[in-house]
Amino acid sequence: MTKMNCLIGALALTTGLSTAAVAETSIGVVVKIGGIPWFNAMEDGIERRAKELGVDAEMIGPVSADPSLQVQAIEDLIAKGVDVIGVVPNDEAALEPVLQKARDAGIVVISHEGPGLQNVDWNFELASAEGFGEAHAKLLSDKAPDGGTYAVYVGSLTVPLHNAWADAAIAWMDENRPDLSIVGDRYGVAENVDDSRSTALDLIAANPDLKGFLAFGSQGPIGAGRAVEERRKTGEIHVMGPFSPGQGRKMIHSDVLTGGFMWNPAQAGEVFVTLGDMLANGQQIEAGMEVPGLGVIEPDFEQRDIITDNLLEINKSTVDDLADMGL
Amino acid sequence: MSRSSRLPVQKGIRIRPATGENLSLLALLAVLVVVFSIASPRFLTGANLGSMGFQMPLLGLLTLAMLAPILSGGLNLAIVYTANISGLTLAWTLMQFGGAEAGIGAFMLGCVLALVVGALAGAAMGGVVAYVGAHPILVSLAMMIFLRGLGEFLTRGGDISGFPDYMRILGHGSLVGVPVPLIIFGIVAFGWHMLLRRSPHGFSVYMTGSNMKAAEYAGLNAKRTLVLIYTLSGVLCAIAGILMAARFNSVRVGHGEAMLLITVLACFLGGVDPFGGHGRVAPVVIALVILQVLSSGLNLIGANQHLSTAVWGLFLIAVMVMRSSQLRHTFFFLFGKGK
Repeated sequence: MTKMNCLIGALALTTGLSTAAVAETSIGVVVKIGGIPWFNAMEDGIERRAKELGVDAEMIGPVSADPSLQVQAIEDLIAKGVDVIGVVPNDEAALEPVLQKARDAGIVVISHEGPGLQNVDWNFELASAEGFGEAHAKLLSDKAPDGGTYAVYVGSLTVPLHNAWADAAIAWMDENRPDLSIVGDRYGVAENVDDSRSTALDLIAANPDLKGFLAFGSQGPIGAGRAVEERRKTGEIHVMGPFSPGQGRKMIHSDVLTGGFMWNPAQAGEVFVTLGDMLANGQQIEAGMEVPGLGVIEPDFEQRDIITDNLLEINKSTVDDLADMGL
Repeated sequence: MSRSSRLPVQKGIRIRPATGENLSLLALLAVLVVVFSIASPRFLTGANLGSMGFQMPLLGLLTLAMLAPILSGGLNLAIVYTANISGLTLAWTLMQFGGAEAGIGAFMLGCVLALVVGALAGAAMGGVVAYVGAHPILVSLAMMIFLRGLGEFLTRGGDISGFPDYMRILGHGSLVGVPVPLIIFGIVAFGWHMLLRRSPHGFSVYMTGSNMKAAEYAGLNAKRTLVLIYTLSGVLCAIAGILMAARFNSVRVGHGEAMLLITVLACFLGGVDPFGGHGRVAPVVIALVILQVLSSGLNLIGANQHLSTAVWGLFLIAVMVMRSSQLRHTFFFLFGKGK
């Protein structure tokens, strides 16, 4: 049996790091994938809030974004007998049976970015599609007081979320700034830096009165910003949209990028723990109540959704902190 | 092939005594179970054992689908997407009969069609491997890309979901406390064992895997064997696809992608020779249980996910090292002197 020693050693290594303390409420949060900055930040939030509330919370990030791994992780959590399961779904439909199993076992289920899930107690969002689109539209409106034209990017014409943001932003602009009109239709280039850049170069050349880009899609603001920089239109044409703070840090500081909005994954992690602890202790969610991390909520009792607008502005003063978080 | 001449030869192709291989894996399993039950009082509860029983069969079926091609000296990289396409076939059939309202007849028809699709995908691969002589890795890789593309084209990358309620029993039900998926896996594994060890076809598989030329000269129809083995592998994938549809209540191309490489690992952990010709079902099943115990156990004690991936790797390397006969001799040499 001596040859087994090395294996026992390897296992002892992991058991040593296990959470031994048995706290009042135990919460397990299964996210899309582990090891990426977004979910690392969420894990920080979960751990911080768990310490504050004195509950036992852990995050499980599968090694790949395969829904079957999420199903397995949730099954393990059910077996472990946790009080609350949180989930950020990769594929809503594939999780329904296992979440039903969890609820049948008396476990509270909370989701984030899973508005279509049926077998949940509550789903929460830190940004509504309308709020997110309008926030960007307002930013553009502030930066272009004189009127003119603006262009809209989306990641692709088939990304529902990006198009919902664009719809909201365009609707707001039509209503509040009739002097600022949209150029062409929306362009589905914002998942690609080069396409965003070349489309922006064309648009700048064709539209002398262009005042801004609303770029929904992580690479859109970066690509459009580069085009603005190349044409030396910094300060004249404003670029805004959600992007990775680490990637856009320099461009924000050189004013090529005006900024944008995102939501904070660490805050989402905190809300998982806060909500989970509340629900596990039998507290009911009511309209108008204040939940730490979410603010005053107006839940949708039909769809079991709690949608708030806790947007985080990316600008010169916040970009460094956000980038340092690895986002 | 007469019975009397088959059995002695079969004994001859085992490198290690069968019981020895099983015993060392069982010992490993016992150590893991002891370690985890000390680390977490919840490990040996019915809830956790049940949870493991629900999780293992899917990986298990795919591993068995991988096992036979490896025994024949090849590889089947298309297992996950064959399962997906078969699942899609079932889902499509159910949708034609009203989705959640579809009767049991529609489900049966869907399963038959799924099995046919799985078998066809497998047969196509086997045919190219056997008669064109292309390398199985290339053929199955091409098939994998084709099936994925086809599936994504047909579904536009989306889900098909909303199946009848009775399918839940297949994916999440229990019979006298035993998870239904585990029962299905048990039956399939037993059938697979009988087919490989007790049938002329299984004998041909081992012989073809050991040395295809020699097998042909000896009068075995090696080409037909290859086609058959890939076809059966496709049928197993289809069963896995049906189970996947029942467990997730939805089908999408890409479900289960992460399992592909783990099936290969499970085969090698179970002592299957990567170059073909040697390996049996029982140790592979024990290896699957070991992998499941590791995975669930690490989740249960709340180990960091990143660390547990590393532990998996370490564990597999350790098993390879333990297997190496050269090292074993050095070991005995050193310890023999010491004592």
